Amino acid sequence: MQEAVAVQTPWYRASFKEWVLTTDHKKIAILYAVTSLVFFAVAGLMGMVIRLELTSPGMQYVSPDFYNYLLTGHGAVLLLWWAIAFWGAFTNFLIPLMIGARDVAFPRLNQLSYWFFFSASILVLITLIPSQNIKMMWTGYPPFSLHDGAGPTALYVFIIWLIAGSTLGTGVNFITTVLRMRAKGITLGGMNLMVHGLMASIVIQLLGVPAFVGAVTMLFLDKYIGTGFFNPAVGGDPILYQHLFWFYSHPAVYVMILPAFGVFSEVISTMSRKPIFGRKSMVIALWAIAILGFEVWAHHMFTSGMPDWLRIVMSYTTVLIAVPTGIKIFNWAATLHKGAIRFHTPMLFTLGGIFMFLIGGLTGIPLALPSFDIHVHDSHFVVGHFHYVLAMAVTFGAFSGAYFWYPKVTGRMFPEGLGKASFWLMLVGSNIFYFTQMMVGIAGMPRRYADYPAIPEWVKLNEIQTVGAFILAAGVLLTFVAWIRGLKGPRVERSPWGSPSLEWTTPSPPPPQNFDKLPVEVPPGWSPYHYGR
Amino acid sequence: MAQAAAVHHGEHETSFWPLPTGLAVLFIPIALTAYFAWHMPLLGLVLGGVAAALLAVGIGGWAREFFTKGAEEGLGPIAVGAFIASEVVIFGTMFAAFWMGRIVYAGQWSAWIPSNLNLTLALWLTIILWASSATIVLAERAMGRNDRNASLGWIGATFVLGLLFVILHMNEWAHLAAGGFKLGANIYSTTFYALTGVHTSHVVVGLLIQIVLFVVIAARLMTPERVTFFRASSLYWHFVDIMWLMVASNAYLVGGLR
Repeated sequence: MQEAVAVQTPWYRASFKEWVLTTDHKKIAILYAVTSLVFFAVAGLMGMVIRLELTSPGMQYVSPDFYNYLLTGHGAVLLLWWAIAFWGAFTNFLIPLMIGARDVAFPRLNQLSYWFFFSASILVLITLIPSQNIKMMWTGYPPFSLHDGAGPTALYVFIIWLIAGSTLGTGVNFITTVLRMRAKGITLGGMNLMVHGLMASIVIQLLGVPAFVGAVTMLFLDKYIGTGFFNPAVGGDPILYQHLFWFYSHPAVYVMILPAFGVFSEVISTMSRKPIFGRKSMVIALWAIAILGFEVWAHHMFTSGMPDWLRIVMSYTTVLIAVPTGIKIFNWAATLHKGAIRFHTPMLFTLGGIFMFLIGGLTGIPLALPSFDIHVHDSHFVVGHFHYVLAMAVTFGAFSGAYFWYPKVTGRMFPEGLGKASFWLMLVGSNIFYFTQMMVGIAGMPRRYADYPAIPEWVKLNEIQTVGAFILAAGVLLTFVAWIRGLKGPRVERSPWGSPSLEWTTPSPPPPQNFDKLPVEVPPGWSPYHYGR
Repeated sequence: MAQAAAVHHGEHETSFWPLPTGLAVLFIPIALTAYFAWHMPLLGLVLGGVAAALLAVGIGGWAREFFTKGAEEGLGPIAVGAFIASEVVIFGTMFAAFWMGRIVYAGQWSAWIPSNLNLTLALWLTIILWASSATIVLAERAMGRNDRNASLGWIGATFVLGLLFVILHMNEWAHLAAGGFKLGANIYSTTFYALTGVHTSHVVVGLLIQIVLFVVIAARLMTPERVTFFRASSLYWHFVDIMWLMVASNAYLVGGLR
């Protein structure tokens, strides 16, 4: 019976026409992943140019104006195309497999969601034309973003609109899928933690993205139609934009990190051969973070001007986030305790990701306190802090997940040595880079500027950062090499890591109908983390 | 139910129709950018026209394929419910802008209220829109009895009421703007037009959906066993009607009463 399935054509034999018109969630996942990785590489190179420019005082490589475009592109593309959209690939590939469904609830809508994402990508490419460079940072704060010197506001607005269309389409699709298409025997609480992580991030996006859409729509109306939302002369308020923007963009941080938490849980459980410790508390903690994430947005605006009582409230709620995240970290540690741990590449990336998240999280607690935050606001300390969380914890999580499910997606094994070398380079490089970045921030260096005075301490710390950045880039490059070479790697059986989770019970790569036998049914007491203990 | 989706996906299932729809999705923002930011109105209008044609082809083909190839799964209302949740937040941003101005400029506000603001018309608009919520329920019931002609009639009535709402409202805007209540005059005018404008854009989308619904029923694609699309679209229409109560009570009463 297994052979009968293997005869069917896997995804990589599909014709070009099938790729363009596909409604198969697995092919759409690969479309997302490839688009996302291309933009990851481009925006990463933009970051390297920024890093080179900052290595020494004075302007060496780019003009200040182009530097602003690089900052905008680096931020917007890595957040929206990498840290959020790469999880879109996981959502598409894994959720139907993990809940035992044939496909998603609305396969055509799923294809249309990708076209929204693709259209947004085209608009980003248009901004590469020099006259169309967007220089308003990914935040797009008015009044600067309403100014002609900031580049075409319309493109910024529509990039956000299209990304929002994509996430809303994906959101309603997967919420419906998870609510109504689970295999018999899988309860909502019994789903994989990865599904919970992805769903929590989808629900955040469903309720958060519209706030961002509303904000940029007001930007569009103010700039081109002549309304007065952000014009203080007629009673408008630019701070309103910041509130609406961060109402989405703070929870967006959890959109990026919660799926990584899902990966950490799957990988730690599988590689320690133990059921995840405190599973119920893990699910509750995930959703608690998702809900709490909506109550903290104003901590990005401690110096923007707001009433003191709001600062105090937002400071408390921000510190409160440390509780559910702490629960998760202790539960992962407890899962490792007395486990039969195997240090394969995905496991290394997971442990590294938790370590990076710990540093990013612990530096976040003082940042939540206005007294400290006002001191380091808009300094490189903040940049270092959020690169620990968003750049490294998320990327380690994404790489860990990509290595972990690589054999499931391709049916082949990646070269383990390259993966491990990539991990160590990335871990060492990123810590050299971002830790010094926090130090130079504490030493007073402000962020976003293209140039800085030749203070000896700053210069030295910036040089060290550049060294770290190159080591990090080399590590990322090795992972790309590993994934490409892995396509010719040795074939694997269904479950190379020995996980009992549902997606590993089907052939690798999964056949077009996902499972050998439909409908899928799981026995009573089934668990994706059942290791007989 | 859980595995209903297994029925309608053949092997290597592909669908042509999301592609033209997706191209329209690409062309619309470029058309708007050309019109507003690049100062190339002709390019904007041409691209916009192409996008509208593609959208019509895409949605039409999509609806046809849905009813001829698909099987009833009954999943639409959940998805529309989730979509409505996000719509509420979009409206919420406009309410936030309105309330921020209303509270911070409470002292100056009454000077901004236009003298020709017509509260009676707001009441008539409410009655018209809510009547259309009733007629769409009657249309849905008629479809459930397989009474195609009655259903078409009630959808037509819903459409006419919705269209009347839009026309009366646009007339009111023109009237107010002529009296000096321009878009950027003050934060009240900005948020008044934003709240009512965002709402009216939703009414227009609802009217377009009703056209699709009318065609689908008239072409005998919809049967009493396949009314999920009907239920989903009337759910959306009810949401638009309920939202009007929030919009009108804020824009007209909280904003317009001295």
